[in-house]
Amino acid sequence: MNYFSEMLRLPVVDSDGEKIGIVNDLGIATGEVFPRVTALAFQGPGKTPFMISWRKYVGHFDDEGVYLKCPATDIRFSYLQPDEVLLARDIMNKQIVDTQGMKVVRVNDIKLSVSGDNQVRLLGAEVGARGLLRAMHPWLEHAVAKICKMVGKPLSEDIIAWSYMDLLERSTKQIKLSVSHKTLSELHPADIADIIEQLDPRLRSQVFAQLDTEQAAEAIAEFDDDELMTEMLEGLSDRDASSMLAKMDPDDAAALIEELDYEKAEKLLRLMGVKEEKAIRNLLGYEEDTAGRIMTNQFVALPATATVNDTIDALRKLDDDFESIYYVYTTDAEGALTGVLSMRTLVVADHEARLSDLAYRDVVWVAPDLDQEEVADEMTKYDLVAIPVCDENRHILGIVTVDDALDVIAEEHAEDLQIAGVSAGENNTGESTHALAWFAQRQFWIVVWAVAACAIAAIAVPSVETFDANALTSGESVSAYLTPLALSALMPISIMPLVLLASMHMTSFVKSSFLEYDDHDDEAKPYLGFFLKMTLVGALLALVVYLCGELIVTTLFAGAQTWVGTTFLACFKAAAVVIIATYASAVIYLAILFRSDDRDQNISGTSLTFTAVLLSALAYTVLGSMPLL
Amino acid sequence: MQDETKKKLTVAAVLGAMGPGLLAALSGNDAGGIATYSSAGASFGYATLWMLPVMALLLIVVQETAARCGCVTGKGFASLIREKFGVRKAALAMVSLLIANTAVTISEFAGIASGLALFGIPKTVSVPLMGLLIWMLTMSGSFRRIEKVLLLVSCVFVTYVVAAFLAGPDWGEVALSTVTPQFIADPSYVSLLVATIGTTIAPWMIFLAQNNVVDKNADEDDIILQRIDTTTGSVIACAIAWFIIITTGAVLHPAGIAVADAADAASALEPIAGEFATILFAAGLVAASFLAACVLPGVTSSAICEAFGWERGADRTWSEAPVYRGIITVVIVASALLVIMPGVDLFQIMMSAQVINGVLLPILLVFLVFIAGDKHIMGKFKNSRLWNVLTWATIVLITVLTVVMFALQAMGY
Repeated sequence: MNYFSEMLRLPVVDSDGEKIGIVNDLGIATGEVFPRVTALAFQGPGKTPFMISWRKYVGHFDDEGVYLKCPATDIRFSYLQPDEVLLARDIMNKQIVDTQGMKVVRVNDIKLSVSGDNQVRLLGAEVGARGLLRAMHPWLEHAVAKICKMVGKPLSEDIIAWSYMDLLERSTKQIKLSVSHKTLSELHPADIADIIEQLDPRLRSQVFAQLDTEQAAEAIAEFDDDELMTEMLEGLSDRDASSMLAKMDPDDAAALIEELDYEKAEKLLRLMGVKEEKAIRNLLGYEEDTAGRIMTNQFVALPATATVNDTIDALRKLDDDFESIYYVYTTDAEGALTGVLSMRTLVVADHEARLSDLAYRDVVWVAPDLDQEEVADEMTKYDLVAIPVCDENRHILGIVTVDDALDVIAEEHAEDLQIAGVSAGENNTGESTHALAWFAQRQFWIVVWAVAACAIAAIAVPSVETFDANALTSGESVSAYLTPLALSALMPISIMPLVLLASMHMTSFVKSSFLEYDDHDDEAKPYLGFFLKMTLVGALLALVVYLCGELIVTTLFAGAQTWVGTTFLACFKAAAVVIIATYASAVIYLAILFRSDDRDQNISGTSLTFTAVLLSALAYTVLGSMPLL
Repeated sequence: MQDETKKKLTVAAVLGAMGPGLLAALSGNDAGGIATYSSAGASFGYATLWMLPVMALLLIVVQETAARCGCVTGKGFASLIREKFGVRKAALAMVSLLIANTAVTISEFAGIASGLALFGIPKTVSVPLMGLLIWMLTMSGSFRRIEKVLLLVSCVFVTYVVAAFLAGPDWGEVALSTVTPQFIADPSYVSLLVATIGTTIAPWMIFLAQNNVVDKNADEDDIILQRIDTTTGSVIACAIAWFIIITTGAVLHPAGIAVADAADAASALEPIAGEFATILFAAGLVAASFLAACVLPGVTSSAICEAFGWERGADRTWSEAPVYRGIITVVIVASALLVIMPGVDLFQIMMSAQVINGVLLPILLVFLVFIAGDKHIMGKFKNSRLWNVLTWATIVLITVLTVVMFALQAMGY
């Protein structure tokens, strides 16, 4: 008797040997690492539910039934205690969070451990395939387990210990779980965010609402999805949302507030303390994706005349939730930045030493309107974990810390990859490496070609039934007339891949020029130069294609009927025209990329290439099938 | 809930809520639906018209119940089945859903194949290519981007409304047939009735309706809006079906044309579109089938994974959600292969899938009615007695029809 599913529906027999009902549920006391079964719920005659104390009444139990110590008449019924959880009602078949594996799973069965006659403890929840098979039928489990063993991959149990389970259901949330319990709220905020993303929308807001304000603040900053952030925020009351924002780092809070609509944002800002509101409003004053927006105003700057002792005192006075401190900055009498000290310098220095003697004077700093990508580049170049952001008088406005810089690099990297057409998903973290998907993203021209080929064939060759017999010269059969027609339709079809490949390479060239282009807002984009360059390349390619066609016609079809040669050459001409047009239009794709970058929309490179290929296929289908009509 | 966030029943809110139901109604008229309604009209004239008002009512009941369950519990139908009935019965429900949805997916592929065949593309070319495309779109979840376009194209079936008027049926007779139930003891008539129920109240619609609500995180306050949405959607879906039957009944039935393939069905549109009838019909058929073929494998796989607690979602990789992706792949590959097999009657496939749908529907409806009637789950929003009676009536009606259908076939009619 190891599993709860095997105990359900067992008969309950009293000491007189009379069957008084069947097992319905078991109650456990939640205060232990391996909780004891404390209550037995059973269904009496007429479906009446009863609950009795396990310890007091149950004598022993086996595969055949549960045997009570006393006759039915002596039983006193009890009620569910506040710290008790019912296995079937609250755990079986429900979704729980595995706080060790950090996944949301469904409980398929519950593993119990029996010691002595009637001592039963809960070991954990079975969430694997084995529990599922057992719940369908124990025989099924045995059969599959045997087969798996023969194959050499034993079917293992997937058990989550009670201490790593976090129950999600509304009904069980009120129960105070034991101290040894590792609940969701004890996980790292980034892990909490991951788990919440796996849940259904309703559970999401419920679980989120149960976090305390500080955790909620940290977790919400970790969501990958902006929509999810605002959804969570809207699930909270205004007061909670506002105090949560106040607890967040001002730069994260600013990023979040920006996603909200104006009214809601204003309301939340007004509800929070003056200091926090000012800090966030300050950041919101800077343009998106600049140093000013991602900086934090939590940094330590002291007059250069201060001593190390003063500095350490100042650090001691900081709040608990102050941003991590990497450097201490020094300022002159006007408050302008003069130097920087690392924590290490500060720790090993003599306590009476002046900061001005210790500080490194050649400080690297950035202006608040610098693009965030370039800030990250600066930090990479000088190996900094934080960089000060200063105005023109070298007054420190804030610092950009390494965590934000890493986010920037990851974000820009993902954008670049998307444009280069590497990753397909909207917000996936790892790029898709599935072989078929990889080819599908790069070599879809084959599909386009196949479809367009069908179209050309349909346009050029009339079907036999609809064929107008009057068009035939006398003595010629329909099939004899149609054969050269069908063969000539093959010409444009076989030449089309040239056009499609040319346009694919055009877009990949556009994409790489876009990625390599250094953005300087004050300069005009080099559209004209790009247009001329691409048209020239296109013209050269077209010339090569046309000359090839000419070559083939003069050699291969030299002895053939003249119309064959002309049709064939016409196809090459059409290909050349489409290639020139495609390359001349390259500048449009570049403009689209720049525009979407300015507006901060992400365009996937694959869709761009697909559009280009589709357009050129369409153009060629029209032009290429013309000589056949 | 604070006062300021409480939703008010404004015109804008109602119109905003009406969206999903309308879309679902339009996409519900997929390949199988068109095939079923066309052949109902062509073979039996107006004799099946009386089903449609009944269908509209039952569709409203079922969809409203599903949406209400979603609003109250915030969980999908599959979750609810698993949590109330345990593994074994959930497995039964999921197997029914899998069979029904695979059948419908097959019929969607048949729809794509026969639609493209009207353009002269053989099914050995169209089905593998489209299958690959559908597989890729479902896997990446990016079909949502083209969803609207497909819906728009599949709206061509609204032209049946105009076609019905142009066909000039005897409106008195139509009205009479709509309100007087009639029964023909012919196995093909009975199986048409089952197919009509199966395609109108498809099992996947229950799951889709509830998922839509759950994804929107609608709660008890939204029930009224959901009711408006489901009611309008259901009525429109049945109205279009009604017009299709009238059109085919008026154009094809007197001419004695039994619909045997898509080209026959397309000819019913000739009064309005003339020589373009085929193109119009084929475009609509392909778009509607394509859309449904993109949605169905995902819905099926998602429901199964939800019931058994496996990871799911288009943003999960193969290693994270192998079962989710596996089921989608198997359903698509199996459906495509079946349709490609030589000598398969495409139109017959579309029809039989709807019969399978109809036969399996009662199983899922029983789960639905028990869940919606459970006070523990639904609280004060549990089913009213009328709703229970209507749902049970549907279950009994289909079961009886199914038994009659098999009995008639067994007796060798």
